[in-house]
Amino acid sequence: MTTAGPPGVGASAAGRAARGLLILLALAVALGPFAVLFLNSLRPADDFLRPGAGLVPDAITFAHYAEVFGPGSDTLRFLANSLIITTATTVMAVSLGALAAYALARLRLPFRLSLVIGLAFLVVRFYPKITVALPYYLIMRDLGWLDTHAAVILAHVSITVPFVVWLLLGFFEELPREIELSAMLDGCGPVRRFVQIVLPLSAPALGAAAVLTAFLSWNEFLMASSVASDAAKTLPVRVSSFITDKGTAWGPMSAMGTVIVLPVMLFALVTQRWLARGLTAGAVKG
Amino acid sequence: MTEPPQPDPGARPPHRRLGDTPVLILFLLPALFILAVAQFLPLAQSLWISLHDWVLARSPVMGAFVGPGNYTRVLGDAQFLASTGFTLSLALASTVLSMALGLGLAVLTTGEGFRMKLSRTLLLLPMVIAPVAVGTMWRMILAARVGPLNQTLASAGLPAPNWFGDPVLAQVSLIVIDAWQWTPFVMIVLAAALTSLPAEVIRAAEVDGAGRWTTFRLIVFPLILPVVLLVAMFRLIDALMTLDIVFTTTGGGPGFATQTLSFWIYQQGLRYFNVSYAAAASWLLLAACMAMAAGFLVWRHRVMHWQRWER
Repeated sequence: MTTAGPPGVGASAAGRAARGLLILLALAVALGPFAVLFLNSLRPADDFLRPGAGLVPDAITFAHYAEVFGPGSDTLRFLANSLIITTATTVMAVSLGALAAYALARLRLPFRLSLVIGLAFLVVRFYPKITVALPYYLIMRDLGWLDTHAAVILAHVSITVPFVVWLLLGFFEELPREIELSAMLDGCGPVRRFVQIVLPLSAPALGAAAVLTAFLSWNEFLMASSVASDAAKTLPVRVSSFITDKGTAWGPMSAMGTVIVLPVMLFALVTQRWLARGLTAGAVKG
Repeated sequence: MTEPPQPDPGARPPHRRLGDTPVLILFLLPALFILAVAQFLPLAQSLWISLHDWVLARSPVMGAFVGPGNYTRVLGDAQFLASTGFTLSLALASTVLSMALGLGLAVLTTGEGFRMKLSRTLLLLPMVIAPVAVGTMWRMILAARVGPLNQTLASAGLPAPNWFGDPVLAQVSLIVIDAWQWTPFVMIVLAAALTSLPAEVIRAAEVDGAGRWTTFRLIVFPLILPVVLLVAMFRLIDALMTLDIVFTTTGGGPGFATQTLSFWIYQQGLRYFNVSYAAAASWLLLAACMAMAAGFLVWRHRVMHWQRWER
């Protein structure tokens, strides 16, 4: 769009300057806390309590990272758990969600069943997960799945698959059907049509769905903390218990926070186009 | 939520061909199965448990049927009522704050230039990181003695309050933290809505001599109102479920001042194992969330209906 700026601001030179200043202020407020976290993770322990210590530490130390990752710490194990669970969740949620969304986009079931199933996916977005967490814990206990990767992955897939379905449903419905139709007339079944025609055309939407799913799973706390106590513990669960069992160990806490935040920030900047698309479509449609 | 797809009555769609439907139903089943097992079954179970007497610490199996007993007990529990009050204030205040800031930022950063796109991407970052990490960051910033905020205030000769030590300040802090994290969500969705507006309409208004503020108030805002209502609904419902940031900031304190409903239910259910009691409280929260969602969707439907009728 080439309209001259947004309605309401930026008409004059003074307006443009005010607009730039406001955006800079917003950037400072949005990014400042990240700076505090990163800088504190490099700050020597005795610098924290020094009166008048500035935002930027006087010296830089990697001791907190050494402590967090050092021998006897479980951080690497929890990091591996987070990576395994996020990867498995993303693969499963996107593939199963894509299948379901395609079916919903092409099926016409009797008794408005398509609508009912679509709403079943939608409604997951609207109730508190705390209602599910407790009985889910009990079900996993009865299955003997407590503290397994599978228990966390199943929970994460069930939370993220609705986002995938609603994001892709809108996309599949807008795909032109002529190619699929002519493929069908050539005797091409629904599986081949889906794999060879629909999926290649949907790469951007699938990417958006995958990025959104990965974020949701990597950051998820409640379900993971209900069923994973040690062997399948993820980074967010570890971070949440940091305060109680270490007092206020600012340095290690910042290092731990950086470990969970920095990869996501970088990932967000790399995948920004898909991310914005996933967040908006996921929100507006789901 | 978009309108349900309208079947095209003219064309005979490809899926009508015999043999497709069973395969497509098979496509649907795995996702539905996972949803049923990991969401709807626990939901139903939670409702069932809430009607019984069960303290997991005392017994590994569910006790006697007590009907609505847990619900009446929960509704008479002072801590439940207090956390309901705080949850409502948090949800309302955080929604209003993030809606106002997010709309402002969406308008400010409109444009397809490199700088605007970069600004939007950077402004997005608070919402993509884990809420528990957001809590950790803000806990450090607001730390009474060593936090950068209080150090700045002190060096400027201003009073440096103990943010998480005072009940009201702690509540305000949580509202600000929640709004900080989710303002980008409002911004990004409304920015998309603003970008999709027809440029001619706005230009026509400006040609007619309408100022920018008038154009925004009378043309742009009404056009994006359905999206605004949708975003407000998501914000309100999500804020009603706030849990993660409480763990890494105040832990519900000081006292019980910043216990959200989800946090209180978590403590009751997964820490003290008052299973049926927590289940009853969680269904009350669920009912409130559903009622809010329904209310907003009806409101939005009326607005859209009214707009169509106006035209």
